[in-house]
Amino acid sequence: RREHPWEPGPQTPPPCLSLPASCRAKMATEGLHENETLASLKGEAESLKGRLEEERAKLHDVELHQVAERVEALGQFVMKTRRTLKGHGNKVLCMDWCKDKRRIVSSSQDGKVIVWDSFTTNKEHAVTMPCTWVMACAYAPSGCAIACGGLDNKCSVYPLTFDKNENMAAKKKSVAMHTNYLSACSFTNSDMQILTASGDGTCALWDVESGQLLQSFHGHGADVLCLDLAPSETGNTFVSGGCDKKAMVWDMRSGQCIQSFETHESDINSVRYYPSGDAFASGSDDATCRLYDLRADREVAIYSKESIIFGASSVDFSLSGRLLFGGYNDYTINVWDVLKGSRVSILFGHENRVSTLRVSPDGTAFCSGSWDHTLRIWA
Amino acid sequence: MKEIMSNNNTTNISQARKAVEQLKMEAYMDRIKVSKAAADLLAYCDAHIGEDPLIIPVPASENPFREKKFFCTIL
Repeated sequence: RREHPWEPGPQTPPPCLSLPASCRAKMATEGLHENETLASLKGEAESLKGRLEEERAKLHDVELHQVAERVEALGQFVMKTRRTLKGHGNKVLCMDWCKDKRRIVSSSQDGKVIVWDSFTTNKEHAVTMPCTWVMACAYAPSGCAIACGGLDNKCSVYPLTFDKNENMAAKKKSVAMHTNYLSACSFTNSDMQILTASGDGTCALWDVESGQLLQSFHGHGADVLCLDLAPSETGNTFVSGGCDKKAMVWDMRSGQCIQSFETHESDINSVRYYPSGDAFASGSDDATCRLYDLRADREVAIYSKESIIFGASSVDFSLSGRLLFGGYNDYTINVWDVLKGSRVSILFGHENRVSTLRVSPDGTAFCSGSWDHTLRIWA
Repeated sequence: MKEIMSNNNTTNISQARKAVEQLKMEAYMDRIKVSKAAADLLAYCDAHIGEDPLIIPVPASENPFREKKFFCTIL
């Protein structure tokens, strides 16, 4: 019912009906002005989205797997568990390799963070965090420290010392503070900066020494679950994935989102750059892994099978980028031919969900962590 | 109440403006054809596949995880 000629029509209800008519009239004027601007901006956004899709579609002249038909098929794979790392008392949530291609840091639901020698399976360090669900851990490039965090909403750095008398927890340094759980963390090229992702919907870059926030990245519409830094040759960007089904590529210096991709049908649990830096893979609760090319600005492959119905929790590439390893919630690891789009192998061994997976720095092996409390090294 | 309503509207508008700016930037970026992107991905794989130990296995003696040597630490 229209009270004044310039009051918004039935499709835009007036903001508040309980105030006196004079107040409502004034609000309606402002509302009308702002609603029109808001409406026109939303219209512009919709038409730009349409334009974005058109521009992307124009360049979609062929499929990756078609171009890859001329590539020689891969041979049979003999990949087995070569080491089993036992010692966590609960679900393993995250792991990372040291640059020395030998040491591994892992974190678990019970708050324990362990550093292992993967050659001997010996535990070299262990620390108990003051929180449970340590969802993120990372090795510093120097090999002299580790970072971790989870339900404490923080990312803390622990220097690694070989002095048996020293308590690792004593030297703990709190670096990052989010307003929700920490889901992922990674050192940049040096021990001096850490990039974090959080359930609070943001990513952030921190100075380790001072704990200062250097840059924050806003844009995800829900929890950010994962991130990966571009290979150093490609410059200062990183990719993140979240519960909003989006993968977003960011400029680390400006905080700006450069590109975003929204083709997954559920949470994106893992993102990993292709070794050349020109593409990245993602693993999602929609049971697919996908490949996005950054220069074509689109999804170029989907790795899926009707028989795979459980989410992919973690993905990583082999050294050449030809293989994509995916850890899944059905306890298996599927190995995909990245170019041809087909599965080349399925690896059994874990007795619960695979939650984390990383290829070693020299590509000789990969490590998987699971809710079955163990980590396995495959080669 | 009116101030809060105005603030909400202002925030919504500035968010909407940011979204439009972001979309403009994304819509007008330079892109290459999928055929070119695919060719480059293939070329990279091809150039590095020979050094990929999980595809072309190095001799067992050179892969610390595959060799049968036992590792001991001196206590």
